[in-house]
Amino acid sequence: MPRILGVFDMPGKTAAAIDQIRGRGYTDIVTYAPAPFTEVEDAVDPKPSRVRLFTLIGGLAGVTTGYAMTVWMANNWQLVIGGKPFSSIPPYTIIAFELTILFGGLMTALGLFVYGRLLRYEKDELYDTRFSAEDFGVVVTCQSRDVPELESLLRQHGAMEVNLVEA
Amino acid sequence: MFWVGIAHAGTLISAILFLFRAKWRNAINRSAEAMTVFAVLTAAQFLGIHVGRIWKSYFILPYPNQRGLWVNFKSPLLWDTFAISTYATISIVFLFVGLIPDLAIARDRMAGWRKALYTALSLGWKGTTNQWKAHNRTVLHLSGLATPLVLSVHSVVSWDFAMAIVPGWHATIFAPYFVAGAIFSGFAMVLTMMIPVRRIFGLEEYITDYHFENMARFILLTSTIVGYAYAAEYFIAWYSGVEAEQSAFWLRAFGPYWISTWVMIICNAVLPQLLWFKRLRTSVPFLFILSVFINIGMWFERYVIIITGLSREYDPAVWGTYTISWAEIGIVGGSFAFFSMFFLIFLKLFPIVAIAEMKEIAIHERAHSEEGAH
Repeated sequence: MPRILGVFDMPGKTAAAIDQIRGRGYTDIVTYAPAPFTEVEDAVDPKPSRVRLFTLIGGLAGVTTGYAMTVWMANNWQLVIGGKPFSSIPPYTIIAFELTILFGGLMTALGLFVYGRLLRYEKDELYDTRFSAEDFGVVVTCQSRDVPELESLLRQHGAMEVNLVEA
Repeated sequence: MFWVGIAHAGTLISAILFLFRAKWRNAINRSAEAMTVFAVLTAAQFLGIHVGRIWKSYFILPYPNQRGLWVNFKSPLLWDTFAISTYATISIVFLFVGLIPDLAIARDRMAGWRKALYTALSLGWKGTTNQWKAHNRTVLHLSGLATPLVLSVHSVVSWDFAMAIVPGWHATIFAPYFVAGAIFSGFAMVLTMMIPVRRIFGLEEYITDYHFENMARFILLTSTIVGYAYAAEYFIAWYSGVEAEQSAFWLRAFGPYWISTWVMIICNAVLPQLLWFKRLRTSVPFLFILSVFINIGMWFERYVIIITGLSREYDPAVWGTYTISWAEIGIVGGSFAFFSMFFLIFLKLFPIVAIAEMKEIAIHERAHSEEGAH
């Protein structure tokens, strides 16, 4: 299917163009941006990233591991101190807290790798080094018959350049 | 303890100021985060040095062994191990996550071995919608996780002392006192390093006097908290009527270590009060000189707490007077060299200003000015 690339210089114009394109029923839209711009990201997909699930799972795993590890180890190697219970929850809370942060943080980074599709070094013929400078790219995958409409839409919203790439 | 303290400004700037949406952090967060990582790595070496038998330092980790023996999680040393290793790991993750988009910018503009390095490290970043959305969320969550972490790490370090019954150490004020001291020393180190770096690399447009003034305000606030903690320690020693505490604090101020104590008080609690004057707060040469004095003062604070505490415990049979040896001077000097070396390598290889975050501000400003023109 053909893909159309529009190059913009402002986040506002980019977001407006995406809104219009989505309004016309096109859903396969990818953008490239030099920095985080919520207006552009929300125009493509207003739902928050699911990285938060990873954080939650990591945090819960951390707190569970923290308490389970300390209690189990204290009972496995028993230190007899005046007949007191072998495990003591208040000091173990410190270990559980630290592991909550540690596992939560590492899982959050893993979430970035998964949802950001990182560690994939494949070549992307639509990517341009301008997109890591100051320009924005909007790529729409469409049917051949839709190309003229999309081209005019992108230009209407101030695209500095529109290119057609056959896939 | 000194180096863990230095490590605190980075995460504070990155995480807490991020959550408070303080935009001024953008220019300085990268350098502060890098300092955090290198300061923690410097501090980590001391775990090995302090164990004495460095080849057995792994005994502190809970690992399965043939004796069926586990570590004692009721010991503050174990809390310290977990707190500092978590802090080191999260600081490295934070620094690296922030660097990824900037490494992609560098990748697109470099050639040769540098291009290969940045290509590998930028992990295939292209700045797509998914990537930025996930990145924003990751930075937000890491900030949320790192904020209580910053406060917990130096609290845990302080409990290494406060949990012991040594006079001068066994105090409930230790946790907030240490956290404020850590942030104080961390900001001072950021000033000591960034003032010359700004000059050498010509970064005046990005790191402005306004940034330095804001850091000076933080220094003033935390210096006041530290000064209050010093006063509270002396007051409680007097008011409690506990003789051992009273003599410990008398010894600090008028005993054989009086010079260290007065250097600490003057550098940390008195001199920073000059920052109430705007003229001084906005004078970069003054801030540089003051930051060096604060570094000296904070190093002496740790010296005073440890040395005066241990030189007079309850049992007079173990009393002694400490003098620093050439080997210890070498270790202290070496730690400064280790920290500076890694910081300079970082400066040489990686973007010292968060480029993508600065671009976000610049592009928004450009958009607003264009809208204003129409």
